[in-house]
Amino acid sequence: MATPEFIYITYIHAPPERVWEALTQAEFTRQFWGGYQIQSDWKPGSPVSFVKPNGETDLKGEVLEVEPPRLLSYTFACQSRDGSVREDGTRVTFAISVEFGVTKLKITHEGFLPDSRVFTEVSQGWQAILSSLKTLLETGKPLPFTRR
Amino acid sequence: MNNQPKFVYVTYIRTTPEKLWQALTEPEFTRKYWCNTVQECEWKEGSPWRVMIPDGRVADSGKIVEIDPPRRLVLTWENQFREELKGEVTRLTYELERKSDSVKLTVIHEGGTPESKMVEAVSNGWPHILASLKSLLETGESLEGTRHWPEDDVCANKK
Repeated sequence: MATPEFIYITYIHAPPERVWEALTQAEFTRQFWGGYQIQSDWKPGSPVSFVKPNGETDLKGEVLEVEPPRLLSYTFACQSRDGSVREDGTRVTFAISVEFGVTKLKITHEGFLPDSRVFTEVSQGWQAILSSLKTLLETGKPLPFTRR
Repeated sequence: MNNQPKFVYVTYIRTTPEKLWQALTEPEFTRKYWCNTVQECEWKEGSPWRVMIPDGRVADSGKIVEIDPPRRLVLTWENQFREELKGEVTRLTYELERKSDSVKLTVIHEGGTPESKMVEAVSNGWPHILASLKSLLETGESLEGTRHWPEDDVCANKK
């Protein structure tokens, strides 16, 4: 049975370094990633922590590959919004390149179970997060409903 | 149609459904983010629909299947200028839903055959066109690479 995979491509009018910054610095992620500060020293093997506004660490992952500002991948556990379903061991890869004179960001999120019960919700989450990331980098403000 | 491959893309744009609908259909907007093309259409159910390239050639043609401004638009779409893509009738759906001060835009482009060449071709172009549309509505400027019809006839795609 095939495992579901989420792939999304967008183009952002900002340099690759800024996109990298937005994905890896807690001060940025906090603004567009549902309130999470994503913290890591971004070395292969290091932990990745998702810290909620109340200070609780919610999800964890591990850094796989780091090639700033081109490639970043890490594992992390996904959870449904109501907390009832959790899947460990999924893997997200951010590939940043320049095409047509703009920064292209490609996200691949894989490693879900074949009958994953979180995949749809996770995919929908990404669509909002990545839209807000683009808005933040191009206008200085994220989309409000992604600050949670 | 269940076996047909399809391309689905969702983006959230800080604008109103009315403005987004305008940008999806009116020449003043499409010229800026859709490679300088314009759509010729009366925008009623059953109306013929064409995308026109600046040099007068027809890029794509079809007809309006459903239209419910500013919420939903469904049309058939057949490529007219690339030999290898002609003959496959695909189906495009735009769904617009208000979400806070933004609009959730869902684009569904369904192929006309199980091995649809069209879906593969448009999958490479849509993210760039839609990113440019989003930039245009949110910042006033579209993305540079989508403002002109390219010399090699490949709009917004990398070959």
